[in-house]
Amino acid sequence: MSDNKNKAVQETLAKGAARADASYMRRRITIDPITRLEGHGKIDIFLNDQGDVDRAYFQVPELRGFEKFAEGRLAEDMPQITSRICGVCPTAHHMAGTKALDDLFKVEPTEPAKKIREMIYNIFMVEDHAIHFYFLGGPDFVVGPTAPAAERNVLGVIGKVGVETGKKVIAMRRRLREIITTTGGKVIHPVFGLPGGVARRIKPEEQKHFQEVAKEAVEFGKFTMKILEDVVLKNKEYVDLIVSDAFTHKTYYMGLMDKNNHPNFYDGEIRVVTPEGKEYAKFPTQKYLEHIAEHVEPWSYVKFCYLKNVGWNGFNDGPGSGVFCVAPLARLNAADGMATPLANELYQNYFDALGGKPVHHTLANHWARVIELIFAAERFQQLANDPELTSDNIRRLPTETPKEGVGVVEAPRGTLVHHYKTDERGVITMANLIVATQNNSARTAMSVEKAAKGLISKGVVTDGILNEVEMAFRAYDPCHGCATHSLPGSMPLIVRVRDLEGNTTATLRRDSDGRIHKE
Amino acid sequence: MEESTKSDFSTRLLCLGNDILADDAMGLRVAETLRGRLPASVDVVSSMESGLRLLDHLVGVPRVIVIDAVQTGSAPPGTIYVLREEDITYSPGPSGHYIGLFETLALGKKLDLPVAQDVLIIAVEVSDCLTLGGEMTPAVERAIPEVARRVEEMVG
Repeated sequence: MSDNKNKAVQETLAKGAARADASYMRRRITIDPITRLEGHGKIDIFLNDQGDVDRAYFQVPELRGFEKFAEGRLAEDMPQITSRICGVCPTAHHMAGTKALDDLFKVEPTEPAKKIREMIYNIFMVEDHAIHFYFLGGPDFVVGPTAPAAERNVLGVIGKVGVETGKKVIAMRRRLREIITTTGGKVIHPVFGLPGGVARRIKPEEQKHFQEVAKEAVEFGKFTMKILEDVVLKNKEYVDLIVSDAFTHKTYYMGLMDKNNHPNFYDGEIRVVTPEGKEYAKFPTQKYLEHIAEHVEPWSYVKFCYLKNVGWNGFNDGPGSGVFCVAPLARLNAADGMATPLANELYQNYFDALGGKPVHHTLANHWARVIELIFAAERFQQLANDPELTSDNIRRLPTETPKEGVGVVEAPRGTLVHHYKTDERGVITMANLIVATQNNSARTAMSVEKAAKGLISKGVVTDGILNEVEMAFRAYDPCHGCATHSLPGSMPLIVRVRDLEGNTTATLRRDSDGRIHKE
Repeated sequence: MEESTKSDFSTRLLCLGNDILADDAMGLRVAETLRGRLPASVDVVSSMESGLRLLDHLVGVPRVIVIDAVQTGSAPPGTIYVLREEDITYSPGPSGHYIGLFETLALGKKLDLPVAQDVLIIAVEVSDCLTLGGEMTPAVERAIPEVARRVEEMVG
């Protein structure tokens, strides 16, 4: 071979290699937990020309066709229909739907009805927060962020807190659940909320039982706080992780507040505070569209909520970016205190310990959640002791012609909006839902991106990415959309590395033993 | 949720799904088909709940037959699988939201709750569990009578 020919071949090979390199660098990594019981999520990580993380997106499966499905149905059916959307928090959808009907028919529920609704709602919050703390967030914090992945599950949590505590949690959950079922009927066909009130009064003997359970719930809350203190807060390693930069974003915060700016899960006005902790806005729920807008990215079907009047300035934090946050951390940041004594004391301790307000550490959500659990239990107790609870004045009949209604509650995972428009017969012409996960979607994406950036460099993907990225989004407990019940496949999480043509060039897989395998 | 408080049943047929989410209605449709057709010793329960909330349905009865949708993507829609708990490899999910039937069963056992000793799963391969108000895939719908027949055979 002549030198010239050799040179030409070398050049061709070099060009080919450069193209291959470029193709390799501009690849897309997909982390996709496939077919799990409650749906599945997916993480897409896009790399730039240098092989570093350009952008990362967290995606949840989108329920398709909600608007179309709702159109033409009677508005009265919406609390029943929407409660079927989610197998995890049907009570939140039922309550937001019921409140949207109050607004649609312009009917103010009677005082006893409001109290019954708020009591039931707080019982639900105690139950959900307890399940979350012990079993869902527990794998990261009770078992520990550095524990082997194979132990970071429900059984690992029981191993750490003990079988007796596990039994206590399950028993408490059942007692709370029984009240919701007795009062509110079956989940499939709830017969609880009606426009202007509730369907069923509370009997005096039931009130007595509620008072007993409420007392237990408050004690249970204290017990849970003790576990948080012993297992998490006394462990320097965990506290260091909570306050680490990797899990910190200085965003706006949002929550539903009462007139004293104390969080109220059932009712109030939406309050937003700045990253510096100052009030940015407080508005009636009906004005949500003046404040919340949705940003769409070509890469994702998830709509990213942001503050309309600040504007969308990318996946960034700081006062110039409209990205905001909801759920326990955000609610406590958006508040000036708590409405019940013990919760308020713990609220003050929390901010004292974490360096004042606002707390920007995503992982502090777990701590904030326990404070909220205690608030919900105390509020349950206050309402269970209210003499009006057994009143038979439980409904005010609607008389107005329906047109448009908005109902907002604080779901365990954050602000939940239901918005319906109807014709004069009450037939739905437009329905819009903003779920908590969507409110948090931009910040969740930022957290996933931060974790990915720390772990991927020059196109090199380490095994550790799975655990770190999981932890980044688990703190938000993003709701994966729906009550789809398809059974799990054999692996929950997979990272696919793809070239520009979409061919899979490598696969990282976490198997049932918790270990990560490369294929 | 239909509370499963009775304890004099020998078998609980636990039908999972969501009637407004296309193929996910399958389990609930099986319950409708079989209600009233099975021996009195069989407790037919429909549930749209998930995760730990299923625990109440897994205790207080010796045998549970679960009817559920499955999406493996590796078999045609309508394919019926009959599985025992031990046939399925599951793993702790990446989010707490992913706690499923098997973690719930394992938790019940760990806490010494009276969890059913015999758990059988009849799963049907589905293709769409995300379209609200969506139609069932015809092949999934066609599998319903066969699933019902197998249940009748099992509970004899």
